[in-house]
Amino acid sequence: MTVQELIKIMGLTPLSTFEDREVKGVFISDMVSDVMTAAKSGNLWLTIQTHKSIVSTANLADVSAVVITGGKKVPQETIDIASKYNIALLSSPLPTYTLAIKLHELGIEAE
Amino acid sequence: MSDCQHHWVMTNVKYGFVIFEKCYHCKELRTYFTEDDSLLLGDEYREGEHFYNRLESAQSFTFDLICTRCNRLETFNDLIGLFYCTSCMPNCQVEKLQQQYAPHKTWIMVAFGVLPDAKKNPIPQAKLDILSDYFNQRRDTTRSRIKIVSFELIADLARCKGGFIHDVGLLTKEGPSEERKPLF
Repeated sequence: MTVQELIKIMGLTPLSTFEDREVKGVFISDMVSDVMTAAKSGNLWLTIQTHKSIVSTANLADVSAVVITGGKKVPQETIDIASKYNIALLSSPLPTYTLAIKLHELGIEAE
Repeated sequence: MSDCQHHWVMTNVKYGFVIFEKCYHCKELRTYFTEDDSLLLGDEYREGEHFYNRLESAQSFTFDLICTRCNRLETFNDLIGLFYCTSCMPNCQVEKLQQQYAPHKTWIMVAFGVLPDAKKNPIPQAKLDILSDYFNQRRDTTRSRIKIVSFELIADLARCKGGFIHDVGLLTKEGPSEERKPLF
């Protein structure tokens, strides 16, 4: 499943401009050090963090998209950097737990 | 010289804190990594001619890289963190490299050595290349690549507005949404 397909199915809101790509599993963490050490290329990263450093972390870890959960407001600076780096920055009003369950129902699992 | 086509993975990962300090007399920057959270209090202190003040502290981690094929260990205890450029200085070599590499979908990250030692003994280019290899081996390089460069390329550290990839400033100031139901 691609990021664009996931946006439609899950009702996610795209915040940045990005190139579509395949989603390979889910990674949930609110620590950038955790993502840098353990996330895998293509993972969908679920977090409540909105600081601009999540974009560089997503870039380094090569995640397919970052989903900001719980409807947290994302600073424009974070969105602008995500667009610059071609990182898919998405938003969901759902809490992380609920979104993770829905992803599981779609067959997208933690790897 | 080894013929091994190294495949790097992280090893010896230690979680702790990165401390940034500055001497208010000579303006010298000092950085170090510690696993001791009692150092986070950040009192001003004197050491020799220097009077260090805390600038910032952040949760972070250190690591080494090991080749899964030949077991070669590359230590990175001289690396204090990775840093991203925000294009704040057009004449900065890092920004020039960003513009040069961006059309090739290669993103520049800056490796910071432990200050002040790294100003005299920067992390060798060969080690920065190993770091680049590691992050590229983790990613789909048909889409994009990472290039790690030295912080020495930053035109003016005092004016640089780039940021460390550390767990800092992550506390959200936004309360939970009103429609959220109580847990119990």
